[in-house]
This record gives sequence, structure tokens and C-alpha cells, in this order.
Amino acid sequence: MRDISTPQTIDVSLRDVVKHYGPFQALKGVSLEVAKGETIVICGPSGSGKSTLIRCINQLETHDSGDIVVRGITVDGTPANTRDVRIEVGMVFQQFNLFPHITVLQNCTLALRLLNKGTKRLNEEKAMYYLERVRIAEQAHKYPAQLSGGQQQRVAIARALCMEPPVMLFDEPTSALDPEMINEVLQVMEDLARGGMTMICVTHEMGFARRVADRCVFMADGEIHEIAPAEAFFDAPESPRLRGFLDRILPSTAHS
Amino acid sequence: MPTSVDYSGYFQQMLGGVSITVQMLLWSFVISLAIGTVFGILRTGASGVVQIPLTIYISIMTGVPSLLILFIIYYGGSGVLTALLGYDRSFDVSPFSSGVAAIAMVNAAYVCDLVHGAIRNLPKGQFEACTVLGLPRFHAWRLILLPQVFRLALPGLVNIWIIILKETSLVSLVGLSDLVTVAKTAGGATSEPFVFLIVASFFYIAMSTLTVPLANRLERRLNRGQTPVGA
Repeated sequence: MRDISTPQTIDVSLRDVVKHYGPFQALKGVSLEVAKGETIVICGPSGSGKSTLIRCINQLETHDSGDIVVRGITVDGTPANTRDVRIEVGMVFQQFNLFPHITVLQNCTLALRLLNKGTKRLNEEKAMYYLERVRIAEQAHKYPAQLSGGQQQRVAIARALCMEPPVMLFDEPTSALDPEMINEVLQVMEDLARGGMTMICVTHEMGFARRVADRCVFMADGEIHEIAPAEAFFDAPESPRLRGFLDRILPSTAHS
Repeated sequence: MPTSVDYSGYFQQMLGGVSITVQMLLWSFVISLAIGTVFGILRTGASGVVQIPLTIYISIMTGVPSLLILFIIYYGGSGVLTALLGYDRSFDVSPFSSGVAAIAMVNAAYVCDLVHGAIRNLPKGQFEACTVLGLPRFHAWRLILLPQVFRLALPGLVNIWIIILKETSLVSLVGLSDLVTVAKTAGGATSEPFVFLIVASFFYIAMSTLTVPLANRLERRLNRGQTPVGA
């Protein structure tokens, strides 16, 4: 997590980002700055544009207008910049998206190998290091389908980390998991956040948001309604939309 | 009543016919698989520049009888090649190569449809994972997407393999000594057409039966990681 006293470097900056799907406006001019080492949690009702927003950052979706800058690279849709941005940004999906026909270890070393990052041994050592960090090294030679959902998601995190991106995007990483597996994934994410990774997480895990996020963002109808440090976000929400949202999703004892 | 000794020469000729048929099968299948896969990938793209000629190609190849395509290539091919590549040379189109070309071109269209369908059935997340990892496109197809595509397309591809095996008999009509030609000739010479045609049929059945264990092995290989071991 970020040390607030030091001068900030902005890792990700979004200004007036607009995105349409046909006539439907998914993002209506969204602006957000994420400092280096900061953990941002984005929440909001489904269809509010949370996923679209983070998918614009690494150009899985192309935005229609507005500026996106990632670590000094302007995300303008040119192939070279898009490639550069994807090197800076790792992503973890709701459905894990591991490659089913190769082993866990091969999932992790594949990109390193294809991008000629190092020798086979160095790549495997690096992969084992990150598998160790997500506490799943002993499963390295299994196929993804032999692992539980939580284990697969941790492998997906390790796979992204192998490219050593300074920024990580999480798109509802625990939404497809059985309840008993959610915490093992959140724990790995928390470790990452405390290790200084710049993270933007779309998640409904409010406990994680309160504990780990530097700032929380509430989105609804393609707009950001509120950005606040985690404590203020939960204890003193300003916008009525956010208050209504928190009332619906939190047990009544969690806030007054 | 002729004895089996009299037939042995013919049966040896039939083995030669089998060899031609198998060579035709291998070449035609490999070429149609290669072309069909590339076309299937192109078919998933949005560009009209590629889609329109592809659609025309597929309509022709699936709409015109294979035999007609074979005749066009065999009887028209040398003229076309000479016109395209220069008047100072002349090109002969052999029965074998025109047979392979015709069967490969026709079946490439079917492979294209199969591969295209399988690509559309791959989870979108597989493409997105390749994208965000920055995998070079060619390698992403080669190592990640196509192995999964072929797994999905395998039953259809096995069908095409067997269809090609049977379609190779068309080359008997342009004078190549494949299994059917030999059987017909031997049948005519001995006035026992029934015996030789039945034997030829058994060869075809044996060859398609042999593909079953091959296909099963391939399926096991492509299914790696699909089912939990011990489950």
C-alpha cells in the first residue's frame, strides 16, 4: 500500500474516458488517477461499467474518446503503444482463463518463452518463484483442471506476475469461486498490495476493500459517483447512490 | 475354374493400388487441413476483403461435385498454368497431382467450416488471456488456440479423413492406377469383377477401421488436461 507522505508518481491516469456499445453508453466520461503502489477497489452494481473501465486500460476494449495514460504510455490504439501497455499491465479474469492443455508451470513460462525473456531454466525458476508466492508451487506439474477454482485463480495471478508488470488489473477475481476459496485468493492479492504493486480491482469483496484498498471507487451507470479513502467510503459515504448500494450489500451491523 | 495362384499377380497389383490410394489420402488430407485451418482462422476476422473471396471459394467447392473439380484441374490445368506462368514452357498436370489438388481444394472448404465453428466455440477468455499476456499472434494460435480448436474439431476431421479416403477413388477416372482402377482392370481381365471389387471394398474398410485407433490416440493427446486425472 501507498505511503501517503511521499510525492506521488501517477501510474495510471484516465481522463474523460467514453465508451459506447452501439447506442448504449458504457462509460460517460470517467476520470481517475492511480498513484504508483496504490490499491484501488472499484465497486458498483452490475452493468455500471466497472469491467469496461479496466478493460479499456489494457485495450481489451477500445475507448471512443478521452485519454488513458499508463506509466507514461498514451493508450491511443496504435499497435506499438498497445503492445507496450500490455507489457506494463497484468490482468486476472473472473474465469481464470488458464490454458487447459498445458501444465501450471507451462502456463506461467509460456509468455516468457515466446517473448524471449531468458533461458528455459531461468524462466522456470522465475515461474516457480511466483508460484511459491501464491503458495501453489507443489502443483506446478498438474493441469489446470486438476486444481480447485481458488488454486486456478492463484495460478492465474502467478502467470500474470511472471511478466513482472508494475500494474495489475483484477476483474472480479473471486466472483466465480466457491465461498471457501475466496479468502485464499484475497490473501494473495493483499500480499501483493502490501508489496507495493499498483492494483486496480473490480470486486464485491467489501471486507477486502476496507482492509486493503487505499481508495475505493463507486461506479453506477457508467459514471464515477464517489472516490474516497476506504474508511470514509464505508463509514461516511456522501452520494446517495453509494449509501443505497452499501445498505443493500453490507450486513446492517457493518455500518450505521 | 481359376485357382488362387492365377490371382496372386492381380492381388499384388492391388497392393500397388492401395499404396497410391494411401499416398493420395495423406497428401490430400494434409493439404486440405493446412489450407482449411488458415481459411478457418481468416474466416473469424471481420475484414470484408478476405470474407468475400472466401465465401465465394467455399460456395464453389461445396457446391460443385468433386469429380467436376477434378476434371477441370486435370483437363484444364495445364492450359491455365501455361497461360499464367509463360508460353515458353508447357506444364503437364499429372493424374496424381490433379487428384490431390482437387480433393484437397474441395475438402479445405469443409475443414474451413469445421475450424471456424470450433474457433467460435472456444471460450473468449482464451483469446483474451493470450492478448493480455502479449503473446505474439502466430505463436498464440500455434501453441494455445489451435490445439484446443483441433480438440473440438476432431470428430469432424476424422469424418473428413474417411471421406477423403473414399474420394481418392475418383482419380480412377483420370487414369491413375489406384485401388479401384486395379480392381476394375483385374475384374475385367479375369471375368471375375465381383471378387476383385469385393476385395477392394475390404481394403477400404480395413483402412478406415485402422483410423479408429489412430483417432483415439490423437483424441487422448488433444484431451490432455481436460479431465481431472483419477476423476
